[in-house]
Amino acid sequence: MSEAAANQAAELDLGEEIVVAEGIHKSFNRGHKEREIHVLRGVDLQVAKGEVLVVIGPSGSGKSTLLRCLNFIAPPDAGSVTFLGHCLTGEVPRRRPAERMRYERALRFYRTHIGMVFQHFNLFPHMTAADNVALGPTRALGLTRREAKERSLEELERVGMGEKAGQYPSQLSGGQKQRVAIARALAMRPQLMLFDEATSALDPELIGGILEEMKRLAESGMTMIVVTHEMGFAREVGDRVLFMDEGVVVEEGGAREVIESPQHERTQAFLSAILS
Amino acid sequence: MVAYTFQWHVVPESAGALAHGLKLTLQLSAISFALSLVLGLVVALCRLAPSRPLRALAYTYTQIFRALSLYVYVLFIYFGISAVFGINLGTFAAGVVALTLLNSAYMAEIYRAAIQSVDHGQREAALALGLGHTRTFSSVTFPQAGRVAVPGLVNQLVDIVKDSSIVAVIGLLDLMGTTIQLVSTERAPFELYTATAVAYIVLILAISAAAALLERRLARHLRGGGSGPSPLEWMQRYRFGGRVPT
Repeated sequence: MSEAAANQAAELDLGEEIVVAEGIHKSFNRGHKEREIHVLRGVDLQVAKGEVLVVIGPSGSGKSTLLRCLNFIAPPDAGSVTFLGHCLTGEVPRRRPAERMRYERALRFYRTHIGMVFQHFNLFPHMTAADNVALGPTRALGLTRREAKERSLEELERVGMGEKAGQYPSQLSGGQKQRVAIARALAMRPQLMLFDEATSALDPELIGGILEEMKRLAESGMTMIVVTHEMGFAREVGDRVLFMDEGVVVEEGGAREVIESPQHERTQAFLSAILS
Repeated sequence: MVAYTFQWHVVPESAGALAHGLKLTLQLSAISFALSLVLGLVVALCRLAPSRPLRALAYTYTQIFRALSLYVYVLFIYFGISAVFGINLGTFAAGVVALTLLNSAYMAEIYRAAIQSVDHGQREAALALGLGHTRTFSSVTFPQAGRVAVPGLVNQLVDIVKDSSIVAVIGLLDLMGTTIQLVSTERAPFELYTATAVAYIVLILAISAAAALLERRLARHLRGGGSGPSPLEWMQRYRFGGRVPT
């Protein structure tokens, strides 16, 4: 599918899967016998338009890596990711330049249409909040500086950071940084948002505000995949929950059902440990 | 000390020649510094490239060119190379080549360490926004790495200015070469070497001061409105090339 066609498909509310991942495998330190870690061992997932999928599981279970496989920041070793009609595997066609170009273009399509929010915010410290938000629109979408600036201020305003537009990240609190990071992702007008433990690095009193922001986003119809340890949020905002352990999906189902009456033993152990 | 008659008048009399030598020192240093900055970055990028042969090549470059002293390079390039290949570089060009090879190898290591010091999440965030590798480097990685590299690069500039005096051995009339020549004709070594030493010190202090200003400007975003390092702090940071033991 061409990029224009994919854009069109995205705009029409087709009520179908936005992203489908199949058979995702990922190892770190590949080829180093002893240090090789098989993080993902064949994970499938699918998310429909407007759906909020919450991914839970113990640390080291591969949740964050799974998110990074979806936008190919950590390309999967095996398996494919289908996003808005494109289908990509982690294998880069190195031999033929034309195919390589097509692959790079598809990669850019994924990344510009998938927003990501990180645990440690990852704001660019040498840029003001406004420039952080405007970077993607200017350098990846090709907007003019003025258009990007306008969009940047608009998005900052939306997350309540309009007054901090001229501040550098070092002058902001953790909660404020994460708001800017959310605005930065939303300024790309993404079709899918990935949240990688967006509240885990925050002081307890700041967590609520960010969760509120995410809830509002979900209510506006944004398709989201949320990795989190906030079970209250998962139950209230999540449509479905996916429980991962040791690189596989152990249990999957409606958010309320999985959290309130988990079927699998490992899910029960994890939830009782986290909720007590 | 007793038998020596000071002849300070030699210094103002030689001012013209010394100024000319100083100009040559400045030109030699500036050109070598600029070339090293560029070449060093290229070598550093090769060191971090995905291609294994490219990495090996860059590694060899840094290891070989850091292994010998400038003194050896200057003589080798000016006399050695010209004898075998018949390439006569001229004293100035030979000095530039020697200074550039040695310092670009050091700078490559400074750049590499600086680039690696940038948090991995920065690259991830830029890639996640859809920036390509080149734009990620130019907009996100390099501006942060550059700030980290500045003190090391300035030390390299200080080294270049000082080490450039070695080109006097191949007869280039830089500040040092001119002084040596004047000493042999005027017979006032203490006065002339003192004057030259003062000139070098002033030059290097000026570089340190300029660097401190630059560094403060680049660190604006990290201070949140506070003041930068005190004069004492930056004096310590730029201990005339960073090689004086504390």
